[in-house]
Amino acid sequence: MAKNFFDKIRPTFSEGGKLSWLHSSFDAFETFFFVPNRTTRKGGTHVKDCVDLKRLLIIVIMALVPALLFGIWNLGFQHSKVFGLGWGFWQMVWYGFVKIIPLYLVSYIVGLGIEFASAQMKGHEVSEGYLVSGFIIPLIVPVDVPWWMLAIAVAFAVIIGKEVFGGTGMNIWNPALLARAFLFFSYPSKMSGDAVWVGGLSKALAGGTPWKGGEVVDALSGATPLSHASLDGLSAAGTSAWNLFLGDIPGAVGETSVIAILIGALILICTGVASWKIMFSSVVGALFVGWLGNVGGVTDIPCWEQLLMGGFAFGTVFMATDPVTSAQTECGKWIYGFLIGALCITVRLFNPGYPEGMMLAILLLNTFAPLIDHYVVSANVNRRLKRAKTV
Amino acid sequence: MNEDLKKTLLNPIFKGNPITVLVLGICSSLAVTVQLKGACVMALSVIIVCGLSSFIVSLLRNSIPNRVRIIVQLVVVAMMVILVDQVLKAYAYSVDKQLSVYIGLIITNCIVMGRIEAFALGNKPVPSLLDGLANGAGYGLILIIVAFFRELLGSGTLFGFRVLPASYVPNNLVILPPMALIILGCIVWVQRSIQKDLQEK
Amino acid sequence: MNTNNNVYTIIYTTIIVVVAAAILSIAAMALKPRQQANIKAETISQMIAASGISSKEDLAKLGNDKILALYSDNIKTAFLIDKDGNKTDELETEVSSIELQDNLKMENKNIASGEPSLPVYVFEKDGAEINVIPCYGAGLWGPIWGYIAFNADCNEIVGAYFDHESETPGLGAKIKDEAWFREQFKGKKVDFDNPDKPFGIIKGGAPEGDASKVDAITGATMTCNGLDAALNTWFKAYMPFLSKKAGAAVESDACCCEGDSCDSNGEGCGKECDHQHEHKHQHNHQEG
Repeated sequence: MAKNFFDKIRPTFSEGGKLSWLHSSFDAFETFFFVPNRTTRKGGTHVKDCVDLKRLLIIVIMALVPALLFGIWNLGFQHSKVFGLGWGFWQMVWYGFVKIIPLYLVSYIVGLGIEFASAQMKGHEVSEGYLVSGFIIPLIVPVDVPWWMLAIAVAFAVIIGKEVFGGTGMNIWNPALLARAFLFFSYPSKMSGDAVWVGGLSKALAGGTPWKGGEVVDALSGATPLSHASLDGLSAAGTSAWNLFLGDIPGAVGETSVIAILIGALILICTGVASWKIMFSSVVGALFVGWLGNVGGVTDIPCWEQLLMGGFAFGTVFMATDPVTSAQTECGKWIYGFLIGALCITVRLFNPGYPEGMMLAILLLNTFAPLIDHYVVSANVNRRLKRAKTV
Repeated sequence: MNEDLKKTLLNPIFKGNPITVLVLGICSSLAVTVQLKGACVMALSVIIVCGLSSFIVSLLRNSIPNRVRIIVQLVVVAMMVILVDQVLKAYAYSVDKQLSVYIGLIITNCIVMGRIEAFALGNKPVPSLLDGLANGAGYGLILIIVAFFRELLGSGTLFGFRVLPASYVPNNLVILPPMALIILGCIVWVQRSIQKDLQEK
Repeated sequence: MNTNNNVYTIIYTTIIVVVAAAILSIAAMALKPRQQANIKAETISQMIAASGISSKEDLAKLGNDKILALYSDNIKTAFLIDKDGNKTDELETEVSSIELQDNLKMENKNIASGEPSLPVYVFEKDGAEINVIPCYGAGLWGPIWGYIAFNADCNEIVGAYFDHESETPGLGAKIKDEAWFREQFKGKKVDFDNPDKPFGIIKGGAPEGDASKVDAITGATMTCNGLDAALNTWFKAYMPFLSKKAGAAVESDACCCEGDSCDSNGEGCGKECDHQHEHKHQHNHQEG
């Protein structure tokens, strides 16, 4: 039925039609609902099979769903725990749901609005790349972030991070991370500290609102194990490795639960959407520096626990592997992933000002990915030249 | 002649702006644009240094030994910069404290040396003076535009006076140097969409 | 004329350099008094801002002469002390020949080598003495320094002012720009019982009720660490002087703070006692 509707209204939007200036918007909506009439030809050089870009993005979103669902429950769980409310399961889910929906609305309305507007202006087709970025952004920002801040960050990420470079596929940095970096550096007081990661807590602290049971100090000591771990060790933060793995700790919506992220990783790897090489080498890099830190006496956190903390898992699985901004060559992927993991842990260990090194590590390596590729390719060329000479 | 003078004066302000078109003097424009006041003083200093050193070098242009001309130019520029710095220290101490290092770094500002090499060495003193002043002004203009946005969005003030309501949450990123680069990029963007001949094919 | 021959080149460059040097020296000599007055007035206005006699904003509107006059009107005495807190030298406070010990960088080195010559400026405000001492250290990008004002007995801080050369605007620069940061020093104490770390700037918020800790600035960890180190170094250097003063004050107050005889004592003394009681009370509250 919907298909008929689209077919019926198509002439209005095609060339010469009444609303032909809106044809990019029309295309975007149509292809979002249906496989378009023209997918990439089989055997094209830039895709692995005939799945088109939009389907690819849908797979990524599906992989993100477990983390999102867990995050929604966790929002309610943390809120209930800190304020001593003793909520039931559905109450928690409902709380998380109500908290997260506005973030999604802001993210998509602002982001897609800009995408549509710029596509109209340039007369391009609207590209779907933002569907994934827009899905990730609410998962990596503090849940209480003011909507207008999120809107500015999204606008910044889409305009400066993406449209300026020519839209989807041309961007140097991962737009979702750029949005978070923008928030982090612009409004540090809303983005760091202990209170921001639990829904309603910072507002309650600022307003002095009383709540049932639970003392402020108790509530705070449990918050953000990452920032505590970098200072006084994990156990002082009152969190076990199992909690970190399961994810029932305060943190950004999507990044607390390593289990949920692993499910996503499995989906991505099985469908071949994301590169397992990047994920694997990133883990190796993190373990390596974590181990060095242990041996060198910089930290007493075992290196494997570093993998469970903060945004490492989420960043490795969903953001480092972003095909547009990561290294393209096979050998380059190994180097790129390894450096991300290594740099992330290095920042964590040596700069207490930025306990979350993952964001910085990925953005920096995004910048260097083309360089890595360049040298991998030229090394390859040289090797072959040499071989040709010796033969 | 008159037409030429006009061109000498106006070209560097917009069409051949040293920052947005020649992309010179980026370093200091990132560093001193946090506040409008500092940017204005810096702009004024560069205008004076650039104009006067062009003038002096142009006066000497026929007598300068070619082999050591860069050194002679440098001596002249350095002298002007130190003079400006000393005067600021005596009469505008608070601003000088903010700008401290960057006033001294005018010596290495490519615009000053660039104009001397490209213009003052081959032209009469008066046009050289005007060329120097105009290039300094072109630099200053961009500085002030960038500083306007950075101070407005980063502190909610202009020249230290609060313009945005107190409920405005200052954006810290704008105060950090990267944002100056981004604002600069936006200015270049605007200029190139107005002036199509600057766009690379 | 051949401008490329060697003799000409050498003579030419020599003349240029000599002329430039001459111009610069004349300019420097002509401007020197004014520059020094600027530096002196700046140092003094930081001290006065710390002491609370006037605010930095008001002082900025005054000319150099008025600031110097304000200083010599309000100062009682200024002197230098050695590492044991003994007075070694008086500093001139007459308006025409004000002497300051403002080479803090040098003294910072001298503290490390054990031979400091530290200044104490004693102001008089509303009849009470205020002792102002400097501090100096390394921030994130460059030097940071400041002035701390103590009450007459040196057991309570009554004001502070900090400045820096090149800290990040909006982050580290807040030690100067944000009034709340300076304000929280008021009423704090130097912890004489903890000679290794008599003061602390605590990231993530100072524990409530701790009289020798203040909150650090979010996002300015390195600058705050630098300031923390600077304060501790200088407080330690001043410790003999400060504790001597505070010790003398305790002895003279001892009469009224022991037991219930407090009420029967003089008014000035009673005030002190009330204050201390209040503090004790606060402490109990914290523990309870």
